[in-house]
Amino acid sequence: MANENKIGVIGAGTMGAGIAQVAVQGGFECVVYDIAQEFLDRGLGRIRNFIGRGREKGQIDAQQEADILARLQGSLALEDLSDAVLVVEAATENLPVKRELFQKLDAACAPETLLATNTSSLSVTAIGGAVKDATRVLGMHFFNPAPLMALVEVVQGELTSDATVAKAMDITRRFGKTPVRAKDTPGFIVNRIARPFYNEALRILGDGGTDVETVDRIMRESGGFRMGPFELQDLIGIDINFTATETLYHAFFEDPRFRPSPLQQKLYLAGHLGRKTGKGFYNYESK
Amino acid sequence: MSPSSVAILGGSRLAEDLHGLARDNGLNAARCARPDKIDPATEVVVDTLARGSEEKRRLVEAIDAAAPGAALVLSSCIRWSTTTLASWSRRPERIVGFATFHPLARRNVIELARGLDTGDDAMAAAGSLVERLGKESAVVKDAPGLVFPRILSLIINEAARSLDEEVATAEEIDVALRLGTNYPQGPLRWADEIGLDEVLAVLEGLLEETGDDRYRPAPLLRKMVASGRLGESAGRGFYRHGETGI
Repeated sequence: MANENKIGVIGAGTMGAGIAQVAVQGGFECVVYDIAQEFLDRGLGRIRNFIGRGREKGQIDAQQEADILARLQGSLALEDLSDAVLVVEAATENLPVKRELFQKLDAACAPETLLATNTSSLSVTAIGGAVKDATRVLGMHFFNPAPLMALVEVVQGELTSDATVAKAMDITRRFGKTPVRAKDTPGFIVNRIARPFYNEALRILGDGGTDVETVDRIMRESGGFRMGPFELQDLIGIDINFTATETLYHAFFEDPRFRPSPLQQKLYLAGHLGRKTGKGFYNYESK
Repeated sequence: MSPSSVAILGGSRLAEDLHGLARDNGLNAARCARPDKIDPATEVVVDTLARGSEEKRRLVEAIDAAAPGAALVLSSCIRWSTTTLASWSRRPERIVGFATFHPLARRNVIELARGLDTGDDAMAAAGSLVERLGKESAVVKDAPGLVFPRILSLIINEAARSLDEEVATAEEIDVALRLGTNYPQGPLRWADEIGLDEVLAVLEGLLEETGDDRYRPAPLLRKMVASGRLGESAGRGFYRHGETGI
């Protein structure tokens, strides 16, 4: 029997740690699985720091902090997740890796455990196809940073049952997040519909006659967006943004609506990835 | 020299916004139903018409005849580039394109474009008019929809496709974009505010001028405009508004 108050998370990277934090803050127990102790130490350390800062700011007291952290555990054995009501996989974005993981989870977990992938670009249906009971496989797409972003896209693959989706929506609400239901289509809702914000801005830049600063200023001051498309790409990382567009383009069988920009590719190939490398559309090196 | 009198053509909500803004900023502003009503002393004529190729062409020609020789003509380039609009005029040097969406209260920057034949005097006069209206101007490359209307129309087009393909409901799409990527409004709700006909005009204009398939309007958007579901102004768009609608 699955424990209704226990969540499993696969992967202690940025997304996995963020999702585990959301689970323990939502009152669940959470076991985070990874393949090496050092990954677990780093990921769990990040969660402890984040929650510690919340205590320092007076958002929670020491007792609450202790209670939250007591619900958090790391593990190197997949079997420790076997009685979770839900396992969220946040491993690398690689289909063969994910399919193999889901086969192992399918074998290890209780029959009623929901198996979710946090993929942002792969097909939930393709991942579900790897397991015996694909009705319990779904997508739960959290946004980075997971502890701060309110949205979770709950994705129904071709084989996912309605009951699985309903239960995942319910758990998402218990996490204190807002779920939206989406069909398993490339980019789901957000990554698809937000694409032109970057891609059309890149096209305008490529057309010449309009510069990066002007486009950003117009989108902020006329559109009311918090950041312009170029400053936002620099913040997200031009490598991440370019890869997301390229993946979507291929997933839609080269539909021209998603065609990547040669300008963006050039920055990507030059290693000018935005703020993290000191240079992207803007220069962040010491002034 | 900063213009002090402006004639605003068209019955759109944008025309209404512009008229209010001009009056609030102490300009002598008049709304004209037809170009032959333009005061012969007027310094600027603003044409907000965004759709109807025959209608727009006739309007450009009528402004030619009615507007005084020294007047600046500021023409909406939502659907056609400034150069295309100016090609319908015998006085292309005085035509400056502009593109923005209702409501103007939320736009701190007004985008302007110069056609191939637009003169320096006209560009300077357009810039000082925008300043008189209490807004900043940004001069960008001439194309249908310029920058903000163009990018937002493509986002709305993708949202309309997703809705039509039943990826999610309208409410879910809007919630997702607000919470998942911090948009100031969900794209479908935003489309209702702007007017679906204006969004479709940008897409049709870009498709026509570039021939690039990426601008193909979503079939749902075309159907909704055809059936008069233009958004807030019609009482019905992606959502119902007010008391109207069945």
